[in-house]
Amino acid sequence: MLENKNKKVLPTLREGAGSLLIVLIALSAVIALSLILSKNPGKTLGYFFLGPLQSRYYFGNMLNSAIPLIFGGLGVSLAMQSGNFNLGGEGQIYGGALITTLCTIYFAPLGIVGALLALFAGASTAGALAGFSGFLRMKWNTSELITSFLISNAVLLVVNYLIAGPFLDPSTSLIATRKIPETFRLSALLPPSNLSTALFFALVAVITVHIYLYKTKSGYELRMTGLNSRFAKYGGINTKKFIVLPMFLSGFLYGLGGGFAIYGTYFASIKEFSAGMGWNGLAVALIAKNKPSAVIPAALFFAYIEAGARSAMLHSDVTFEIAAIVQSIVFFLISSEVLLTLFEKKRRPA
Amino acid sequence: MMHFSIPILHSAVTIMTPLLLASMGGLFTELSGMLNIALEGLLLTGAFFSVVFTYFTGSMIAGTLLGIGCTMLLSAILASVTLNLKSNVFITGLAVNLFASGLTVVLSFALFANKGVVVFDNIRPLPLLGTPRLASIPILGDIFIGHSAFVYLSWLLLVICYFVLYRTPFGFRIRATGLHQEALSSLGMRPNAYRFASFLISGFTCGLGGAMLTLNLGAFVPNITAGKGWIALVVIFLGNKKPFGLFIAAFIFGLADAFSNYAQGALNIPSDFILAIPYVFTLLAMIGSSIYAKNKGAIES
Repeated sequence: MLENKNKKVLPTLREGAGSLLIVLIALSAVIALSLILSKNPGKTLGYFFLGPLQSRYYFGNMLNSAIPLIFGGLGVSLAMQSGNFNLGGEGQIYGGALITTLCTIYFAPLGIVGALLALFAGASTAGALAGFSGFLRMKWNTSELITSFLISNAVLLVVNYLIAGPFLDPSTSLIATRKIPETFRLSALLPPSNLSTALFFALVAVITVHIYLYKTKSGYELRMTGLNSRFAKYGGINTKKFIVLPMFLSGFLYGLGGGFAIYGTYFASIKEFSAGMGWNGLAVALIAKNKPSAVIPAALFFAYIEAGARSAMLHSDVTFEIAAIVQSIVFFLISSEVLLTLFEKKRRPA
Repeated sequence: MMHFSIPILHSAVTIMTPLLLASMGGLFTELSGMLNIALEGLLLTGAFFSVVFTYFTGSMIAGTLLGIGCTMLLSAILASVTLNLKSNVFITGLAVNLFASGLTVVLSFALFANKGVVVFDNIRPLPLLGTPRLASIPILGDIFIGHSAFVYLSWLLLVICYFVLYRTPFGFRIRATGLHQEALSSLGMRPNAYRFASFLISGFTCGLGGAMLTLNLGAFVPNITAGKGWIALVVIFLGNKKPFGLFIAAFIFGLADAFSNYAQGALNIPSDFILAIPYVFTLLAMIGSSIYAKNKGAIES
């Protein structure tokens, strides 16, 4: 038994070594960028690396910004495991959040049932947006990668219109909808930071998706379809179903991410509040190699880089966008077979 | 009808040009078997560096060439990470897009202490070309004459692109790489060398397309490309992966965009809806063409 465990641990470590190398390359890019761009690189680096851990406020905010990334990362992982791409996360989060906000306000008299209904409505809307791309692929083989992106871009604009137009709350200076009632707001975990109990829901989502993918028949069929669609079909799996369903669930999770961002952090749909969350969710899934359990550390890593960049921007002389450069370096290298297998023993051909 | 439709067609020709240029480069990568979603980031890189170098050198030609050089450098990095380090081209493409959006803002902040719109006073508007005699041709003259050199250069490049792809060994090999790379390797040629070349070509055309965007304005606007690289990708599919198909598809897009600019001013429709038109339009076109392809396949088989 113990021997068996060792056999599993060693390759995992070797596999991890490749990812670690990539993380180290990305972090050395932070050092290089600070040396080039900052007049006081030492100070910049100090705030970049330690800033997010220094106070309850920064630490809590970092954890909080990981929450939508966890939801998004799960959503993308689910789609990718079935062999589908969902590039519409931006629109799905934003649209899901708006529907959740509006439904919460209308369903307020129903209490907790209303809150659950609102979350479900928001997530289902986002799911339908992604599921439609799945439907198009199933029906006419239209590339879901492109349609999900196009639909999302159109949705972003329509939501912008709805927030700034019919649902604008004129009583604030923000371009935002009305706020959800206070009784529906999730309680804070680490005040004065933005962290809320939404964190627990994110963890529940990770466990649920893990169980679905690895412990249920439907999850097994989904993964088989992703691994080899023809083989799965030959084995009697309804592969058509696993184009639409994973896309729907993927959008659903993005939508939940948007909904919990409203319940835990923003309390209203603010114009463009979710910009970037969809793409970062995708990045998180890629770093996690579509494994739900690995989504948590990947989301934390991404949130850490952003929090570091934000802290360096506030206290030193660099701009926040260095986060995008560092993240893009991770993106560049994360799928490299050469780097990832650098430390793995050469496998004998089976 | 006539008096407002001709200016729309005229501006459609201007708007389509960066799309046409980016999709031409993307056609090479697409035919060599790589889905190049980095067009957006490459366009943005070209847009930024061209206008910045034009500002520093005082010459549009030098600035454009240096901008193209930077874009080709980025596309070379993309190609080597994808081909030599064996990465997923989709993910490295996203990396280029993220990198370009970060880098342009970081450099804009470092050079001009400004993260927003940077206006360059010393850059004059692009000269418009055309002789009065050509311009006096009814309708066609009004639509196709009086554009900047970028527009006519893009048409010239389109012809060259067709010639290279269909009339030279290099073009045959690029297409063979996408169709059947084993055939190419069995003849002792390296498919990856042709893929690398395709990426460099897409860097070149995107650099040029990006330059047109900023030099036209004399300013750099963060995220000035605003999805044009993605639309260029769609143009490749809609244009049925044929050089002259690209021209038609890009023109249709230019028209949709020009019409929405017009409608924004003239009709009482919320601007967000109008901005969404190109995406909805592309979506419908994608669906239409895939239904057509499916039916055609069903008849043939």
